[in-house]
Amino acid sequence: MTDHVLNVKNLSVDIPLADGVLHAVDGIDIHVDRGETLCIVGESGCGKSLTSLAIMDLLPKKAIRTLAALDLGGESILDYSERQMSDIRGNRMGMIFQEPMTSLNPAFTIGNQMVETLHRHRNISGRAAHDLAKHMLEKVGITAAAQRLNQYPHQLSGGLRQRVMIAMTLLCEPELIIADEPTTALDVTIQAQILLLLQELQTEFDMGLILITHDLGVVARIATRVAVMYAGQIVEQGTVEQIFDNPMHPYTRGLMQCIPVPGKTRPGEPLGSIPGMVPSLIGRFTGCRFADRCSLVTDACRSDDIALRDATDATQAYRCILDPRAMAKVA
Amino acid sequence: MTEVMIHASGVTRNFSISRGMFRGKQLLRAVNGVDLTVTRGEVLALVGESGCGKTTLAKILLGLLPQTTGSVSLCGTPIDTVPRLALARMIQPIFQDPYSSLNPRKSIGSIIGLPMRVQGENDQQLIDRRVEETMDLVGLPPRLLNAFPNQLSGGQRQRVAIARALVNRPQIVVCDEPTSALDVSVQSQILNLLNDLRQELNLTYIIISHNLAVVEHIASRVAVMYLGRIVEQADTASLFQNPQHPYTRALLDSVLTPDPHLGLPNTQLGASYPNPIDPPSGCAFHPRCVNAMPHCAARAPSGQAHKAAYVECHLYDGTETAKAG
Repeated sequence: MTDHVLNVKNLSVDIPLADGVLHAVDGIDIHVDRGETLCIVGESGCGKSLTSLAIMDLLPKKAIRTLAALDLGGESILDYSERQMSDIRGNRMGMIFQEPMTSLNPAFTIGNQMVETLHRHRNISGRAAHDLAKHMLEKVGITAAAQRLNQYPHQLSGGLRQRVMIAMTLLCEPELIIADEPTTALDVTIQAQILLLLQELQTEFDMGLILITHDLGVVARIATRVAVMYAGQIVEQGTVEQIFDNPMHPYTRGLMQCIPVPGKTRPGEPLGSIPGMVPSLIGRFTGCRFADRCSLVTDACRSDDIALRDATDATQAYRCILDPRAMAKVA
Repeated sequence: MTEVMIHASGVTRNFSISRGMFRGKQLLRAVNGVDLTVTRGEVLALVGESGCGKTTLAKILLGLLPQTTGSVSLCGTPIDTVPRLALARMIQPIFQDPYSSLNPRKSIGSIIGLPMRVQGENDQQLIDRRVEETMDLVGLPPRLLNAFPNQLSGGQRQRVAIARALVNRPQIVVCDEPTSALDVSVQSQILNLLNDLRQELNLTYIIISHNLAVVEHIASRVAVMYLGRIVEQADTASLFQNPQHPYTRALLDSVLTPDPHLGLPNTQLGASYPNPIDPPSGCAFHPRCVNAMPHCAARAPSGQAHKAAYVECHLYDGTETAKAG
């Protein structure tokens, strides 16, 4: 078990609201190994971003986090103080957000911000920090790195800013990077370049990578393992081949039929769709959360909470009481 | 005989950008000499990276921005001579973000009915009847008539935006990224709806999108834009199977199809998108092009009909062979 870079057991996030408690994340278990990419995929509001914020202990003050275990590099960081967590963030765990313009400070140069990160976490001279920052910018494929250090974020394009963010995250050589929709704000051509860069650097530095996205195309191309979230729970997890070639949960199967695939779906023919809406997560919820939108629903689905269970291959698990072989006949 | 709905020729739109005090103005050509013909029932997709001028072109077609030079005609009438209200009956937009394009203080019924009132319709009963018909058409339950936008999901809001565009039964609908703000499972519902409506009401669509999988699914013809020019135009099947322009090829390569057995593509598009204020010389794409030749930097290519497509590239205009011979 010690080879996991990150190990999270039974993570829940509850948000007290005026009309009850919102159970935004409910009993998540995830782990990432070195050199592995875990993709957390799901629709808006399923709790994927809150999961990542909870791991970093960056949740809004109102939210209540409960955890059975939180280990980073084999060591429990569950009871760390705010001060200790802040030593870890940006140092042993890095985070890349969706919109680089809002995560970079517009009033300071790129160089200022990169050197500040180094001074915060490393005992390093100004000259050495500057050189390391320049080296990292070159590493992420930025030309004329020395000049870029003196530029302000608004002088860079979206793709360049995201490269700067990645360079900044890598400065302290973290064991784990959490990237929340890192390419959603970018053009398709730049998206492919940034993902390729992330993948190369991950291999080079032997890091664990958690990538949060709603884009199944990105997941298929970069993930080692996939966790599909729905309404605050993981409804299915497995290797990327298992999830795409042999999805078990009706929600995962539904998602796969919703996306147009060039060469596979016939242009102009109706696409599959998932009727209905995500249920409200305020108050206690009994039974399968997908029941109202599922075409295979039975009475047993609503009577009791459904546990994750292993598929034929133990690396894949899904949260459904139905037999996948019976489902295959219907689908 | 196919009926021409939109005909644009040599359309250019310039913006003048201030460079700061005492430094004068600079010209930005957002749209630079676009020729476009769309016939009835067609779905034309405009694709390209951000800043390539697709939204500016759409605004010109909608009559929201006047073109600097060139001419645009809708259903055979020049756009400058059509009165504002008549133009709104012919062509309607659907915008990207249904969270910001609906007035949060108006009920769904009054949002959808507003275009009719703008057109001078005073008979409230007639408006109510048409609003209900249109809501039924786009799959909105009648109980939402008095609801407000904040009570609706993203997919429902986009249906309201579609209903509002269709209430006066326009001939042409311009959809600017109609599904990119929506979740996957909702995106497919909206795409199916747009397709059904087109067949039912004999609509013509112009779809602006950066999602090429969506474009292949819904469009009948695709125009690829780069720095204000259409660099390739072809019917969807031939563009996807046999792209001609190096930029189109690079765009198609960077589409991430959900196939776990393929790795990440290396698109070779090294340099980033050029600054439109200071476009590269000659062919605007040459700094990023894998097939760039010496004369690409010197001369802009002229448009060529190549096979079933229209391409603007020196690879196809014979200058290469002429030089060799």
